[in-house]
Formats: sequence, structure tokens, C-alpha cells
Amino acid sequence: MEDKYVGIMLMSGVDDGLLLTFDDDAGSQNGDAWTLSIGRKEDNDVCLRNDTYSSRYHAKIHWRGESWWLEDCESKNGTFIEDSVDDQRVTGTIPLSDGQLFRVGRTWMRIQPVD
Amino acid sequence: MATIGLRDILINARQESFRMNHYYLGVEHLFIGLLDIQGGLTGTLLEEQGLTPQYVVDAIRRLTGKGNRQRLWAGVPDTPRTKVVLSIANDLALEASRPEIDERDLLLAILEESDSIPVRVLRKLEVNIKRLKEEAHTRALTDAPVQSYIKIDFGTDFDGTFALTEQTLFLLRRMFHGYNQIRIERRLMGGYTAALILVVTPVGADRMEDAAVVVKIDTADIVLDEAQRYEQHVKNSLPPLTARLEDKPTTSETSDLAGLKYTFVAGTDNNAQDLRTVAQKIGVDNLGEWLRRELYPYFGKTWWQQRREFSFQVWTEYDWLLPPLLTLEYIGDEESSAPVSAIKEPVKRNRINDLHYGDVVTVEGFIVQRVNREKNWMQLAIGKGSEAAKRAYKIQVRGLNLSRDAFYRGETVDKLLGRVWQTREEALLRAVSSLEPDFDYRAASIPVLGRPDTLPNPIYAYDDLLDRYVNGSFSKIHGDLHLGNILVGPNSSAFLIDFAQTRDGHTLFDWASLEISLLNDIVMKAAGDSWQTAREVLRLIAALNAGTGTGITAASASMHPVSAIREIVRECLAVPDQWDEYYIALAMASMRAFTWDTMSVGGRRLMYLLAALTIHALQHKLSGAGSFDTLSTDQPQEE
Repeated sequence: MEDKYVGIMLMSGVDDGLLLTFDDDAGSQNGDAWTLSIGRKEDNDVCLRNDTYSSRYHAKIHWRGESWWLEDCESKNGTFIEDSVDDQRVTGTIPLSDGQLFRVGRTWMRIQPVD
Repeated sequence: MATIGLRDILINARQESFRMNHYYLGVEHLFIGLLDIQGGLTGTLLEEQGLTPQYVVDAIRRLTGKGNRQRLWAGVPDTPRTKVVLSIANDLALEASRPEIDERDLLLAILEESDSIPVRVLRKLEVNIKRLKEEAHTRALTDAPVQSYIKIDFGTDFDGTFALTEQTLFLLRRMFHGYNQIRIERRLMGGYTAALILVVTPVGADRMEDAAVVVKIDTADIVLDEAQRYEQHVKNSLPPLTARLEDKPTTSETSDLAGLKYTFVAGTDNNAQDLRTVAQKIGVDNLGEWLRRELYPYFGKTWWQQRREFSFQVWTEYDWLLPPLLTLEYIGDEESSAPVSAIKEPVKRNRINDLHYGDVVTVEGFIVQRVNREKNWMQLAIGKGSEAAKRAYKIQVRGLNLSRDAFYRGETVDKLLGRVWQTREEALLRAVSSLEPDFDYRAASIPVLGRPDTLPNPIYAYDDLLDRYVNGSFSKIHGDLHLGNILVGPNSSAFLIDFAQTRDGHTLFDWASLEISLLNDIVMKAAGDSWQTAREVLRLIAALNAGTGTGITAASASMHPVSAIREIVRECLAVPDQWDEYYIALAMASMRAFTWDTMSVGGRRLMYLLAALTIHALQHKLSGAGSFDTLSTDQPQEE
């Protein structure tokens, strides 16, 4: 159960530096996966109301098999993983490591453990 | 001396936030506020690590992107990270019992926090953050930038008619910090860019001379990009003994210039000379041999000989060589009341070709390539596809107000409204008109010597070529190969310098570029400048195209190096004896060359005719040996 406590830190924009924390009351359980949703609409777990480049339901992160996965929900402006040369657009679901920067619309964020 | 306090930095930071339509105060705005301080600590320390403030500002802007005009909240709130940074800075000021946070406190706080956008950008630009922190701690805020006096001497080969500017001398002194003296041996003839290339010998305090190096000085954006490009694309593809980029670039706060040093791994020989100089010494026959036996095989192993099949549409590799598709007068980014034509991907050239002076257009989704802050213009291009395609369909925008509107390199401009000021056709016509043609240069065809007695006017005929598909090949190329970038070192070894354009691209582009350089610098230089001379040289080229060699006599021995180029090209053709692939490259490269005002008038006249000749060959599929000697009959045309 402890594994489900997670923080998402926003890394750009007006909320740069804001740490959002989630326990198992948040998100949704789908079979063996625990899922948090990211998007511009109010009913997302991570609500990016100030990012006009994010879609209403933009992306999801899943906790499954002891690791994190990032899924792009066919968003208009894309979900990206930071790369040393060019940021890589996410298609489908890809593995995500702790601390790895990713971008939803214009908003950069990362997963980080919560004490 | 008063130091800059938080209040002034915040004014700069808020201005940046508004320019970018962000309307919040982030750490990135604070950092840009620090960089905006004239002679400030942050800018000085970054310059010591080979960057300019503007280069860093553009990189930060690329990472954040511009916001929407529509504001979603009132006021300009601090971000949570800004609050953290300001509280660290406040602690630093308190510890030092200062009443107000100063620029050093703020810089140290930003580096301490370490997760903000500017620090992420600095890491990406390979700034040594640890060193930056140490320097920020110890440097006195009122220190003038490190600048020792270095005596500058000139070698006997230095062309005294060419004066170096104060800004250039300042930069040179900084580049050779630690030496007592430098001797500028000679200026290597540059290409067709503004770059200044010098051979410099540094002399130590003990009067011992170090090996000469080649110094390239150009605008900071170009030089800093070249240094990054060298790391990513060039370093690992060079032959073992050659010129290499040394260290980081050097920048200057007194001008928009930066410098690079190329050192020779081969030894201490001071006699590296460019091929233009060497050609005069060794003679034209030996020059051709040298190109084939030294240059091509030596760099070819990792460059031109590593070819892969590559089918491309001509515009993707070659449109960027042409003048801007349109030059626009900036109107703004607001909606226009009248319906206007939109320029967006995929670009429909036939619709753009119908536009005239004064027409209003929108440009959508183009990417900013260059920004000229002194002259308030910028250049856009489509920014997608291969490296050459990214620069295709240039659109020049004049009349910007860059203190109010931020435009930065790499920005995607969602929508921009402008009024047509000049079309590409007008730019090309203007270029030909400046060559004082002795014929009607607005006609569909132009007169030449021999039969057929006319060739298509390239200005009206090139456009169809852009849509053609070419079955060619693809490899690493230098991207700007000309006699001034090729150096001859010890034991006549080949050295290339100036990797600002090095990329993966159409293999034959390098050889078409070099042929044009030979035609201008060797052939036309020997022959003269008149239209009549240009036509006579064209006849020799036509003979060479025909593969018959007729017409090449002792009097035209200067054509020998050009035929050596053709031998190299023969090896590089994707389909044996299908010369169309080369003529495309030659046609487009000569289209560019006749617009260059740094090329001799005679050279440009020949380039215009060469474009006509190669386009004619492509239109009539006159490719391959023996099939194209139509210009070789020696009946001069009287005008």
C-alpha cells in the first residue's frame, strides 16, 4: 500500500515547483494498475487548468508491476520525454523512471518519492 | 560603485514575463533579469564559459515557449519555486548583513535550488555549474572582466589593406589570454559569409612560439552553434590528423562576435595555407590531382564514401539556397478583418508565386531561424524534416519591434500577419540586374554562344525543378566546401575547417559547391569579367558536360581542376552515368551563387549562365556522355 504514495512536482509554468501528493484515495484502480490522470479538465488527478496547450484528458501515469508507465491519450499537442538533443514524443505507453522529466502540453513535471 | 539590487532585477524579470505572455514570475524570468544587467556578474561568468547572455536567453525561451495572449489570472504571481529561490537569496543577504538581495545572492540562490528551468538549460549547454558557483562566490561585483594586454603583431604575409576592427582585436586578446604576444600571419580567404578566418601564432613570455592556430570569428549565434554542432556531428567523423576545434568558443561583451580556434594535430608546421593560395603555387594541373588523390580519399572514408541511397524531392535539400520565398513587412499577430492567403505547411509555391507587393498574408506554424536585433528583422522557415528541409522556404520579416515582442531562435510562430515587400522572383531579378546584363533578362530565354542560341532564363525555369524527385545518395557532407575552407598542411595533407554547415545531406552538394568555387576563383579570375568571357567559359563547361573534352585547350588549362571534380562526382553518382543528379546540385548551387554580392561580377555572370545551362540539360534530359555538345560549336553570337 505504501508504494501508492507518490508526488508529482510541476517543473515549469505558473505552478513551477508545486508538489502534488497522491495516496490511494486518489486515482483509479484498473486490474493490477493504479492510474492517475493528467489534463486540463477539473476532474483529472493532475489538473492543468492554466495550460492552454494541454488537452482536456491529456495523459495518464500508471503504477503497474512495481514501476511507472506514461501514456499519451491521443492529445493534440503531445506528451514528451526529455532528451539531451530533442524531446521525444510519447506514443502509446512507455516506461517512466523516478525523476525523469516529461512534458504534458507546455507543462514539465516529474515523479518523485514522498517521505 | 552601486551594485544592482533585487528591485532592478525584478523590473527586468517582469518585462521578460510580459514579452513572453507568461504573466507570472518564474525563476527563468529572474535569471533573464540577471542576464539583462549590462556588465553584470551572471553574464560575465557565462561569457567566461564560452556563452553569450543572448544565446542562453534564447535557449531558456525555447524550453518555456511563449504563452497565450489571453490572461487566465490577474496580477503577476510568483511561482512556488520563485518563492523558494527568493527565500534562499534572502538568507544569503541576511548572513552578509545586507539590507537588500543583490545579484550575487540571487544567482547563488538559483544555482543552489538547482531544479529550475535556467539551471536545467545551463546543464544542457554543458556549463560547469560547480565552477559557476565557486566563481559567483569569490568574484567581486565591481571587477572589470579579465582582460590582459597582449601585443598584436602582423606577419609579412598579412594583407595590410585589411584592417581589423577594435572589437575583433578585443576578442583576439581574450582568446589568447595568458600569452604575451600574438602574430597574425595571414587572413585566409573566407567564403561568402561574413566570417573572418586568420592564422595566428601565439608567443609566450619566454618568447617561445607555440604552433599556429586557425581562428574563426563570426557572430556569436553562428559560432556557438558551430561549437555545439562540432560536438554532436563532426568530432567523431574526422580523419586522425586534421584541424580540430580547441576548447570552448570565446565571446565578448563589447560586440556580438565570438571566436573559435582550430588547432592542427599534425604538428608545429606554420605553413597551413588555404587552397586558393596554394593553387597559384602548384599550378592548376596539380590542383586537380591533389583534390582527387588527397582531399577526396582522406575525408571520403568517413564522409562522401559512406553513402546510402537517398530519394528526395529537390526543394527539401536545395530550396534553402535560394533568396527568401517572401520578404514581409511585419503587421502583427492579431486577426485580420480581410480574408488573406495563409502560408503554411505544405507550402503551395504556385499560390505564393502569384503574390505581389502590398498583398497581406499570414504565416502559420513556421519556425524562427535567425533574429537580427540591430536591424529588427528575422528569418522564418518551415523547420521540419531533414536539416536542409528545416531551412527551406525562408520568409524574411522586417520592421519588428524586438524590445516589445520577443522572438527567439527555434520559436514556432503560430500565426503572423505581414505585407509582401519583395518576392523571390523580384530578389532574383534584382540580382541579375546588378550584373548589367547585355540582354533582356526579363525574357523567357537568354542568348548564349553557339547552338542552341538561347537557354531558358533560370529565373523563370528553376521553380519546376524544386518539385522533382532525385534518386541520389546521402552522406556526411561539409556543407560549405570552397577553396578557402580547404587547407594544405605538412606533406600536402588535406585539412578542412569551418564546420558550421556540416550535416548529413546530399553527397553531391559539396562537389557542386567546390566546382562553383573553382570556376569563380580559378577560371574566371584568369579569364576576365565580361559577359563575353563568361559565355566562352560556359562553352567549355558544356564541352565538359558532353564528356568530349573538346574545347579544352592549353588556353583553358584552368578548367582541369573542374574536370577532376567531375571525376570525383562520377564515382559518387547514385546511378552510374546519370548526371541529372549532379546537374540538379549544380543548378541550385549556381542559382545561389549569382545572388552573392561577395563573389566577383564575372563569377556571378558565369553562375547565372551556368544555372541556365544545367536547367536546359535537365529539361531535355541531356544527360550522359556525348549527348550534350550543343554549345560546343564555335559560332560566336553577335549581340
